[in-house]
Amino acid sequence: MQRDLGDRVYGGLVGALAAASTLLLLAPTLVVLIISLTSGMTLKFPPPGWSARWYIELFHSPEILAPALISLKVALCTTLLSAVLGSAAALGIFNSRSRLARLLDALFMSPMVLPAMAFSLSLLLVFNVIGLRLSFWTLVLGHTIVCVPFVIRMVGAAVQQLDPVLVTCSLSLGASRWYTFRRITLPLIRRGITAGSLVAFLSSFDNVPVSLFLADARTEVLPIKLWAILEGSLDVRVAAVSGVIVVLTLIGLVCAEALGGLSRSFGKTSS
Amino acid sequence: MASSATMMQTTAAAPEARGCALALEGIGHSFGGTIALDAIDLAVAPGELIALLGPSGCGKTTLLQIIAGFVQPSRGSVAFDQQRVDRTPANRRRIGMVFQNYALFPHLTVAENVAYGLRARKAPGAMVRSRVAEMLARVQMTTFGNRFPRQLSGGQQQRVALARALAIDPVLVLLDEPFSALDKNLRLDMQIEIKNLLKSCGVTSIMVTHDQEEALSMADRIVVLNKGRIEQIDTPDALYDAPASLFVNGFIGHANFLAGRTAGARGLVHLAAGAALVLREATQRTAETDVTVSIRPENLTLFERERPGAIPATVRVAMPLGAVSVIECVLASGETVKVSQSRAAWSGQPGAPAWLGITDTTKIHVFDTPRGSPSII
Repeated sequence: MQRDLGDRVYGGLVGALAAASTLLLLAPTLVVLIISLTSGMTLKFPPPGWSARWYIELFHSPEILAPALISLKVALCTTLLSAVLGSAAALGIFNSRSRLARLLDALFMSPMVLPAMAFSLSLLLVFNVIGLRLSFWTLVLGHTIVCVPFVIRMVGAAVQQLDPVLVTCSLSLGASRWYTFRRITLPLIRRGITAGSLVAFLSSFDNVPVSLFLADARTEVLPIKLWAILEGSLDVRVAAVSGVIVVLTLIGLVCAEALGGLSRSFGKTSS
Repeated sequence: MASSATMMQTTAAAPEARGCALALEGIGHSFGGTIALDAIDLAVAPGELIALLGPSGCGKTTLLQIIAGFVQPSRGSVAFDQQRVDRTPANRRRIGMVFQNYALFPHLTVAENVAYGLRARKAPGAMVRSRVAEMLARVQMTTFGNRFPRQLSGGQQQRVALARALAIDPVLVLLDEPFSALDKNLRLDMQIEIKNLLKSCGVTSIMVTHDQEEALSMADRIVVLNKGRIEQIDTPDALYDAPASLFVNGFIGHANFLAGRTAGARGLVHLAAGAALVLREATQRTAETDVTVSIRPENLTLFERERPGAIPATVRVAMPLGAVSVIECVLASGETVKVSQSRAAWSGQPGAPAWLGITDTTKIHVFDTPRGSPSII
């Protein structure tokens, strides 16, 4: 096949841009992974030698494990709440044509647009006014509000792809509304719920601004603890924690893709 | 096609009629300010196959949804076997519905799709399995039970949709434009197959279509709808041979409409195209009335030489359509006329002068010309 010069230049340019962007996106992650495997005592790059000692060290660091566990709990509770509330909201909003639905959509999306700091501060003030004391649950509530938009967006996309005739058809076959929801609607939007939940979990797990304002003294979350450790000393354990998080995230993404890929093959309508 | 239709007529008398009688009385429906349906009365006998036929926007789909229970009519009543079902929700009416694009559940296999209605009614597992096997056998899809809908062709999807609708043992089957998603070649085969199936089940069926051929080949009786009103309810043959209105005449089959004017007694009509005809249907009319005369293309014969009573014309274009040719002519009045005749019977060229002879004047229909709307011609 013959290609003229312009085509080749274009192809080369796009290729170079793609390579540069990939490098830019991957480099920090790679650097932190490499540093976490250092045998030395500092965050020096390149490392003087290789060792898994900092990962082993993590298991003997209750001051890191405890916040990690709390972050995990917060993220799990947040994900569960966001998935249920967000899916319900998405079903309501995207099955309705009323103007109120559009308004609610914009309202639920607002935490995504507002600066997280301003939003967290205002939520703190509200808790103060109504006399709600900060606790694990105020933190979960704050996280849920900022994580719900992700679920609404992704479930909303799935709901919009759902052919409403399928629901009508289910009813015509004698199914109740609840049976129709369980057997038709839910399986067909499951991919959106899975994807939305994963994003909600990740964004809750590494959320800093909301946690800064809404956590009480006993509820210390991982990202803030890591920051506190780094402020005192350049501890390599922080790199090791980052390494663990990167690997776990990758596993999560692969699992979601496998799940999503699976349901996508079922979820595709013949049209 | 005609032979298959007569074959169907014999199966129509199958004794095993399990369907219900359907009665619609004074059904009217409005969306906002616009009237979608007005004064619809219809009585359907058990086991009958009815087609609701009309152009888009005539209200036929709304009527189907009212029968199904998805739409609550503004006025009137719906009764199954003399029992009013106006307040019965759609999922309690025991209706089998076949949707336009089949609406098969994409995440369920063929067998699960067919079982869906039974499972939703909490039928026991063994009964569901045997019923699904029976239905799949009935539509010749037994070997496809474990496939997903997207792995099926259009015709196969339609069979599954029908099996799913029939599995719940419905008293009434509703089909919404059932053949519109199929290839033209496949359509006739599926029409024959589905008509056979519905008739052998003895279920009362109502189909909605805008395709007159579909309605003519499938239905025992056709309800022609126009602008929310019933124009005529009759058998396919009667609709074709004795249309009650200009609309039905134009909608069922092809028709040439010619402007004319009655002249005196004994049914004499002067055509604008320059001929006089004596028409049985014109005898009732007073003289000097504007009328529209309808002549079917197969009731005309094209001659190359002048003969008494024939209408002079000029051939515009000839289209060979296999068994017959359709020849379009222009008359002296500027009106165009289509003639359908066997290819051998005429071999002239476009632009040639010709004369139109009428085969049977008793088959010509005469209607009052609608006031202020010559556009129908």
